[in-house]
Amino acid sequence: MTTDLPMPRVGAGQAAAPKPMRLVLNWGRRYSLWVFNFGLACCAIEFIAASMARHDFIRLGVIPFAPGPRQADLMVVSGTVTDKMAPAVRRLYDQMPEPKYVISFGACSNSGGPYWDSYCVTKGVDQLIPVDVYVPGCPPRPEALLQGILVLQQQIAQEKLQTKSLRGRLGPYAGRRASAAEVSRPLVAPPEQTT
Amino acid sequence: MTKFLSGLAKGMATTARTMTTHAHTQQYPHVKPELPSRSRGVIALLEENCTSCMLCARECPDWCIYIDSHKETTPPTTEGGRARQHNVLDRFAIDFSLCMYCGICIEVCPFDALFWSPEFEYSTTDIRDLLQEKETLGQWMPTVPAPEPLVPELPQTEAQQLVVDVEPEDDPAAGRTTKRGAGEVPRPGTEEQP
Amino acid sequence: MPERELTVGVGAGGLATADMVLNIGPQHPATHGVLRLRITLDGERIKAAEPIVGYMHRGAEKLFEVRDYRQILVLANRHDWLSAFSSEIGAALIVERMLGMDVPERATWVRTLLAELNRVLNHLMFLGSYPLELGAITPIFYAFREREELQAVMEEVAGGRMHYMFGRIGGLRDDLPMGWTGRVREAIDAVRRRLPDLENMLVGNEILQARTRGVGILDPKTIAAYGVSGPIARASGVDVDLRRDQPYLAYDELFAPGGPGRVVTREAGDCLARLEVLLEQVHVSLELAQACLERIESLGPGPVNVKLPKVLKVPEGADYLATENPLGFNGYYLVSRGDKTPWRLKLRSASFNNVQVLSTLLPGTLLADMVAILGSMFFVVGDVDK
Repeated sequence: MTTDLPMPRVGAGQAAAPKPMRLVLNWGRRYSLWVFNFGLACCAIEFIAASMARHDFIRLGVIPFAPGPRQADLMVVSGTVTDKMAPAVRRLYDQMPEPKYVISFGACSNSGGPYWDSYCVTKGVDQLIPVDVYVPGCPPRPEALLQGILVLQQQIAQEKLQTKSLRGRLGPYAGRRASAAEVSRPLVAPPEQTT
Repeated sequence: MTKFLSGLAKGMATTARTMTTHAHTQQYPHVKPELPSRSRGVIALLEENCTSCMLCARECPDWCIYIDSHKETTPPTTEGGRARQHNVLDRFAIDFSLCMYCGICIEVCPFDALFWSPEFEYSTTDIRDLLQEKETLGQWMPTVPAPEPLVPELPQTEAQQLVVDVEPEDDPAAGRTTKRGAGEVPRPGTEEQP
Repeated sequence: MPERELTVGVGAGGLATADMVLNIGPQHPATHGVLRLRITLDGERIKAAEPIVGYMHRGAEKLFEVRDYRQILVLANRHDWLSAFSSEIGAALIVERMLGMDVPERATWVRTLLAELNRVLNHLMFLGSYPLELGAITPIFYAFREREELQAVMEEVAGGRMHYMFGRIGGLRDDLPMGWTGRVREAIDAVRRRLPDLENMLVGNEILQARTRGVGILDPKTIAAYGVSGPIARASGVDVDLRRDQPYLAYDELFAPGGPGRVVTREAGDCLARLEVLLEQVHVSLELAQACLERIESLGPGPVNVKLPKVLKVPEGADYLATENPLGFNGYYLVSRGDKTPWRLKLRSASFNNVQVLSTLLPGTLLADMVAILGSMFFVVGDVDK
């Protein structure tokens, strides 16, 4: 029994929407980014620090209470993505509804960082999912995340939400649908066990 | 009953008391944070000081510094003098998507061409922009804080010991800045900038 | 495949009991990181639990082999990101011991001070996150307020908020900035003044006690069998602390009779005891930091580093050194073949052993207590997987 879980997408009417409506739409999207923290390593601690009272990114409209990827607009990948973890990153990204944004927070998720020559580290999360904003640092200070969010918000404000432009932004990832079978499949067994 | 819930009441009282105090939130985009001068935000390059000796590129723990240079020969300035060769820096780039911000390059630089700047606002939408060339690195120079004063009582000989790396055998570039440990000379590039 | 038995019925007599395999994580809020647990349930009682590690394995030990000793220190920071300074100092200590190098006294005291401040930072993180996992949101805000206070002084001296990279072979990177000791004292005073706020939330809170008292009791025998160390071991009455038992840095003086150092232990061995040990260790560490400060000020200025040769080669041989990291023993087994890179540098990290004990601790407990037990094991996933 597999139910298809089509990815929630931007409707066709979006492209035809008049400019004022788009403006309002982008304004709303910009300041209500429900964030899904993909906390992996050191940077996750700085992400938590950014959500605490001292830096408090709720001021900028970033809401860290997304119950899961299905309700999130923004994914912050903070920390080293290992090859073992990579399928999970991809799978959770696939479950997020459109329009969705990704911030790569810190050197490790930008390009592998200090561990780029390791045998088991993915050389940047952008090999798995399209990234909108790269925040440099190891780990970046919380203010750097806030600045990254501001950059993202500027980008959202200028966004033309059409399927065409969306496809351009997402590149080869556009139009890919995750089926229920895919998001609930068991982990792939290592080769020794399958023989 | 009061004894039974005293622990909870204590917590509630703390919350109530904290509610009356001022929030310690920093209004970041509107108010820039005050960062200490040692804060490791970005690496600035003072191009004139670089002799392209490659020490930083070799010592970097994740090898994220790229240097290209070529040799040029200056004709002798005096009659019968010797022609001198010197390196000309073609490319100096730091890949900030790899950099682990350890500061080893700054430590090993024998000619004080690299500096820490507390600046952190350079996130990009394109990963290629994080590979910053020497022009961009040079733009960070004005943000480099003035060198901090040494601990005053420290005798000069000991102050020099603070610097770990080796002295260059001979100083081919007379007039360059002295080593940081020796002290009072202000960093070039910082004083003429606004 | 475990045998499945399904009883279908109506009324109290016929509750369905079927073994169910439940996956917790790898991306789960309660694991604060990417630990995965495979739990076999019978009803809501846990029958078997298996921690599946490796989601954060970054091969740091292999990377050490191609980096020289200065570069190793900056990478040694990162496997346990909450005890960055303690980890890098341990790596420096083993290299110094194999070199037979003497570190200036001032550097040793500054290292001790920073290691203790790092311990406070680490414990504050868990004091905030553990109640959060139990459902109390408020304490983490208090914990992070104090963390920011201490991180500010750490950043002032080292330039980084989490990865200090301030230790070097033979001492420290730089001397202290002017007036820094005074500001550290202010920060410590401020944290001590406001710590009761955090304590009021935790100590004596009935809800917290109800969730943690008598839950997840770890006995000393299991602790010895699994090599559990640190605050978790001490909460079960295992009185080991390498700072006292195998002193390094300046701890022999601090833990001498009459010194400010004392080893915090509890007897109960449950989740509450583990939290209490953490809380009291914050106090002890702040006292130790203050003692270090006084010592640094009375020592006066002096060198904080020794001059290193251009190429640092460690003589052939092997050595093992363990330090008391905030989460437990952190061991370094260094094998050198006389090169400028180690032939092998093995890390014995505290969290790895502390997490393995879950496979005997969890069976028999209720699923509802699983998060309480898991959170009280105080682990860092990078420390588990390296």
